[in-house]
Amino acid sequence: MKRFYFNLLLLAALAVCVASCKKFLERPPEGQLTEEQAFKTEADVVAFSNGIYTLLGDNQFYSGRHQVLNELLGDEYKGDRFTGDYAEIFKRQNSFFGGTRDDYYKLAYRIIADANIVLKHLDLATTAKNQLEGEAKLFRAIAHFELVRMFAQPWGYSTDNSHLGVPIRTEIGLEPKPRATVKEVYDQVIADLQSAETLLSDVTPSGKFYTATKWAAKAYLAKVYFQQNDFAKAFQSANEVINSNKFTMDAAFSSRFSLGLSTEGILVIKDQTTPNQFNPGGDLRGNFRSDQSIPGFTFTDQFYAVGTARAADLRKAWYSNTLQTGYNVLTKYNKNFFDLPLVHLTEIKLIRAEAGAETGGANLAIAITDINSITTRAYGGTTFNLPPNATAAAVIAAARSERELEMVGEGNRTQEIKRIGARNGTNVDRRGSVWNCNGFILQFPKAEKDANTAFVMNIEGGCF
Amino acid sequence: MFLHKFVKTVSVVALLLVVQISFAQNKVITGKITDSKDGSPVPGVNVSGKGTRIVVQTKPDGTYSISVPASVNTLVISSVGYGSQEISVSGKTAADVSMVVTNTALNEVVVIGYGTQRRRDVTGAISKVSGDKLTSIPVPSFEAALQGKAPGVQIIQGNGLAGSGSVVRIRGIGSISASGDPLYVVDGIPIVSDQFLRGNGGAMNQNPLSSLNPADIESVEILKDAGATGIYGSRGANGVIIITTKRGKSGKPQFNFNTRVGISTYAKRQHFANTSQWLQLRQEGWINDGHTGLAPLPGLYTFATAAANNTDWWDMLTQTGIINENNLSMTQGTAKLKTFANLTYSNNEGYIKSNSYQRISARLNMDYNLTKNLKISLTSGYNKGTNKRVPAAWDGGIGDAMSSALPFFTVYNPNGSYFKNGANPVRRIQETKRREIDNRFIGGLSLEYQLIKNLFVRASGSLEYVTAFDDIYESNEWINQPDPDSGYAKRFPYWGTNKNGNVTVNYLKTVKENHKFNFLLGAEAQEYVRKGYLFEIGNFEAVPYWKNTSGYRTRRDEIINQRRTATPPQPTEKALEEYTFNSFFGRVNYSYKDRYALQLTARVDGSSKFGTNNKHGFFPAVSGAWTISEEDFIKHVKFISFLKLRASYGIVGNANIPAGKYYGNYQPGGIGYVGNPTLYLNYNGFGNPDLKWETMHNIDAAVEFALFSSKVTGEIAYYNKQTTDILMEPGTAPSNGLGNIYRNLPNSKILNEGIEFSLNYKVINKSNLKWSVGGNISKNYNEVLDWELGPDAVSGGTNDTRVVKGLPLGVNYLVRFYGVDPADGLPIWLDANGKQTKTFSLNHRVYAGSVMPDYMGGFNSSVEYKNFEFSTLFNFVVGGKIYDNSGKYQFMGVSKKNWNFREDFFDRWTKPGDIAKYPRLTYDITTFPGVPGEDQFNSTLFLHDASYLRLRELTIAYKLSSQMLSKWKIKSLRFYLTGTNLLTFTKYPGGDPEITRDFENPQDRNLSPNVTYLTAPTQRTVIFGINLGF
Repeated sequence: MKRFYFNLLLLAALAVCVASCKKFLERPPEGQLTEEQAFKTEADVVAFSNGIYTLLGDNQFYSGRHQVLNELLGDEYKGDRFTGDYAEIFKRQNSFFGGTRDDYYKLAYRIIADANIVLKHLDLATTAKNQLEGEAKLFRAIAHFELVRMFAQPWGYSTDNSHLGVPIRTEIGLEPKPRATVKEVYDQVIADLQSAETLLSDVTPSGKFYTATKWAAKAYLAKVYFQQNDFAKAFQSANEVINSNKFTMDAAFSSRFSLGLSTEGILVIKDQTTPNQFNPGGDLRGNFRSDQSIPGFTFTDQFYAVGTARAADLRKAWYSNTLQTGYNVLTKYNKNFFDLPLVHLTEIKLIRAEAGAETGGANLAIAITDINSITTRAYGGTTFNLPPNATAAAVIAAARSERELEMVGEGNRTQEIKRIGARNGTNVDRRGSVWNCNGFILQFPKAEKDANTAFVMNIEGGCF
Repeated sequence: MFLHKFVKTVSVVALLLVVQISFAQNKVITGKITDSKDGSPVPGVNVSGKGTRIVVQTKPDGTYSISVPASVNTLVISSVGYGSQEISVSGKTAADVSMVVTNTALNEVVVIGYGTQRRRDVTGAISKVSGDKLTSIPVPSFEAALQGKAPGVQIIQGNGLAGSGSVVRIRGIGSISASGDPLYVVDGIPIVSDQFLRGNGGAMNQNPLSSLNPADIESVEILKDAGATGIYGSRGANGVIIITTKRGKSGKPQFNFNTRVGISTYAKRQHFANTSQWLQLRQEGWINDGHTGLAPLPGLYTFATAAANNTDWWDMLTQTGIINENNLSMTQGTAKLKTFANLTYSNNEGYIKSNSYQRISARLNMDYNLTKNLKISLTSGYNKGTNKRVPAAWDGGIGDAMSSALPFFTVYNPNGSYFKNGANPVRRIQETKRREIDNRFIGGLSLEYQLIKNLFVRASGSLEYVTAFDDIYESNEWINQPDPDSGYAKRFPYWGTNKNGNVTVNYLKTVKENHKFNFLLGAEAQEYVRKGYLFEIGNFEAVPYWKNTSGYRTRRDEIINQRRTATPPQPTEKALEEYTFNSFFGRVNYSYKDRYALQLTARVDGSSKFGTNNKHGFFPAVSGAWTISEEDFIKHVKFISFLKLRASYGIVGNANIPAGKYYGNYQPGGIGYVGNPTLYLNYNGFGNPDLKWETMHNIDAAVEFALFSSKVTGEIAYYNKQTTDILMEPGTAPSNGLGNIYRNLPNSKILNEGIEFSLNYKVINKSNLKWSVGGNISKNYNEVLDWELGPDAVSGGTNDTRVVKGLPLGVNYLVRFYGVDPADGLPIWLDANGKQTKTFSLNHRVYAGSVMPDYMGGFNSSVEYKNFEFSTLFNFVVGGKIYDNSGKYQFMGVSKKNWNFREDFFDRWTKPGDIAKYPRLTYDITTFPGVPGEDQFNSTLFLHDASYLRLRELTIAYKLSSQMLSKWKIKSLRFYLTGTNLLTFTKYPGGDPEITRDFENPQDRNLSPNVTYLTAPTQRTVIFGINLGF
């Protein structure tokens, strides 16, 4: 019996040993870093912020999905070959299931969450503190801005913009959030951009714009104000960017999407062709590239005629109906690799032009110069330049038409249809929808409603 | 009848004895009665002198001593559950008898966690399936052979791909994101049975269980209630499947050679429109939509060029597969050493061309009695499974033959080059090759030491080592690169070690004869790591890596070297899965007079899977049994041979979630941004320090019985299982930006409640004619009792089924199809309120059915006549629904979806006035009002009754008599012919009603069995086999 108890004791000892080896039960799989392990120094926060650049340039965001969703909703492409999610969105009848849209939504909010994680760990930062905080706020603003444009009726849809926008996330958390009003979202976006503008540096160490500078924040401010039809502020922000003289117009159209040839980019996701570096633009090529096979996106004959109307237009090189016989295709992305500008000088000039014409006075002359700098380049001369005494209306018309031609395939058109609609109720959609019809915005992922029954979904369809 | 006779005989014998006893001179005979199966002593056996009324019973150690008249030359040995025997004792004073079990229900040894029990002493719900039942048919993986053989165990056979795994559900399903699969324990080692080690690559879940050799298996015990699984604590909630491999048996070396050859084909396929039908239907849809002229065709075809072709893709891709299995085993046993050894080679081709599963397997199990008190046991097995893979379902191959490979597409263009303007599954299968090679080694060593009488200490350590290679080769034709001599070879390896060690102390104590105690105390630790490389190993090669392993190694080392010498050095490998368990457990069995049995179990589990705030869980269970037939008041009820009531209650857990989910999951980026390092928080990797196991309260109550001298045996069981703290990954608001998080959902509860009934009846039991029938049926009622998320918060992998409060888990949530409007052929739907509407809307979706069956079971019959055997097994499912998700697309096949069109859709509307089953055809499904797109066209139009009856097994065998064989020094020889899945009765129009789709993740597997997407039908096989014993 003695031995029995002795052995029991032995067993107990063994048990205690195993139990006390608490470490035995602390076992994050090799290669997985916990939050404490991940964030130890400023360099870790910088690396995390670097990661967010690649998320902005992710296929599900600016490397294709954002443009795809906008072009589907727009009025330049043929719809008969679209199936599944693409067909739904094209029909402006987006239902609450659909990975194409869900993944975009998730990625935009992932950018926001990651930006909030950077802000949480700012205490580790020393010399890079301002830059990191500015980047985080810029990223957060960009994602909120694109989300509110895609998932809510535009600014100006209701007089006080109290119509529903998207959930605002300024802290990390798993709990569901209701939709804020469009005004609240824009207020948040503007506050973040204004803060970023003061925090971010004037130039980058490399002199390139592959990471954020204050000019990126200002350029996005110009875009935001312009979307609000707040022309005075849009003009001012655009003006500051242009007058910084840090950006110059590319001589060649092919440079805007190229490997390092463009000087227009105000914030550019860099393509690094060396191994194990980031390559943006994959889904732009995947959906639009036309030199290898028939792309998913092909222009309507109607828009093809618009794009190729003027014989002198050098931008006609962006179109082809011979590359893939019987299809009107875009050639802008017929490259293996390119840097991806998120906002560029041409767009800012077009904003300053239209805002300048809207605000008038001395700004009108600046607006005319802006338009002419674009048309001179586009037509290889001054043939289509505006006269110095052009009316504001003529400048606005030119700005709008040049914008469409310059930014073809860049996901620009849909937001213009809405902005112009909100501006004075004009419907410019070639497919005949009213600018504020229900289906002109994306539906929210159903998961948002399932996590929070009080969540208000969009009304679907009704655009045709 | 038999009983009556028996009583009569006994009475007569007794009378005769009274006469004889007074005259005769007595002699004493002693001996020991053991079980023929494992040599264990059998207590309580009646030993009587033939022709006398003298009867004694064996003692607990199986020994007896009987005094009979010297004239008695024969002893009769009988016991309930064993075949009665007569042994000659003329001139003997000792006679040991090995008894053969006839009633497995009562005397069989049942493996329970960390020990064994006799069936009659078991207090938990345990079904046992012996190894011979598992090898009776060729199956892609051993678990498929359990189908229909155990009540309450739902087995949905794997699909038609070689090596595919079945869905196994024990008494329903109570989990959502955590796996609902049972815990598999092989010879005491909890093994990895995760079907997602390879995700869903190539539309197949690589099944790790297929690398267990069925020929090695002695028995499979299925532990169902908390009384049985309580000892497995946090891993017992889904039931436990204990696999015990064969061990050496006492006796001279004995060899067994089994070989079988056969063929495999499909059980039930889909049939499609041919070219001329397809073209005509295409045009019909085009005209229905209001178009004029000829409809556009895919693949650059015109109606004229298309009409010239008619390819039967199914035929092109399928074959009659050859099955070949060979198995040689040896068993031997002396007092010191017992050995079992086994060698297996098999190659089972599937019915899809170039698809096969090849097994090479070896096993050596040894038990050695070092001293009287010390036994050392070795358990070792090696298995190499080579699965020649083919793409399926959404990945092409046979999936294309059912979907986008249209009948007017051809394999080759007229100029001899491959057709590439559309799906060409033949090109795919010829120009790309895939092979999964899995090696599994399991080794275990255990020491059992008897310290003092009735006190046993057992220590065992075991190691499971797994390596796996997913090899892909794409020919030059496929990848179209400049070098004509090389294609692209790539290999994705992983390797894992599963270490397990435990120590148990077992103490037996009998107090005052009638109070028996059995104490068990144990501690266990487990560590599992599975690793892979952080990079793809691939290169342009002339041959696949499986033919060129040195090429693989060179490439691998080259990349490793690159990464190690990079600045800064880059890591080369990572853990794909890594976790630990540390557990303490105990069990007390108490029985009184062999009538009342009580069992208490408890386990404390700590695991690295659980959050910092919930590191350890405590899982107690209590169970008891009352053997009523031992009571005096019932002993005189003659037709009752055995009657037992048992009940259990316990708390068990489910910890079957990936490791590392409670920590944040940050990782340095594999790629940099502008030359600078990146760091990411993995999406879905935020971490949850509160994460813990799922908790299940499990009640079981049952009656076990044997009637009419055990001719009729059976069991009726009731269970009630309530799962709370449901582990859930999805259902968070996507605007959190962090993704899904594993968490225990508050206010969640799922009920599984059911009844199982099994009955076996030996209709005839004569020496030259035996006929028995048996069967089981079970009903499981499942309901989500508490739930606070929306209906779409959880959807299966492809958005198929839902979780809704008050309904079963995994419900079909669909728009109801009412019928076809005879006027225009458009579908009429019912809205959520049941009102007819012709406008489709996802808001019309309601509960429309459940993928879970109402009833399921199996029944069998076996006849032995002289040397012939004839046996059948049917299995069936009553109720439940199949959602034919690919049928949805096949219906719109002639639309711009461009899929094959199934023949059962021919019953469609074509002109006003038609009363048709299916709506009019269309070129664009969104012309049906309100249909947002192809993918959302989900309705009850494609929801079907899942009931079926299937002839699962049919065997005819001939056994040569031992007299004939003894001349050739052969112990046994048996020939047999077996067919599986020979007949299927179902109303399901989409082919095979048993559907194990390729699943995306455990949640998909839990919620969406019976949802098909181009799932390859199950195999039908016919084999001829020979068993030779010598």
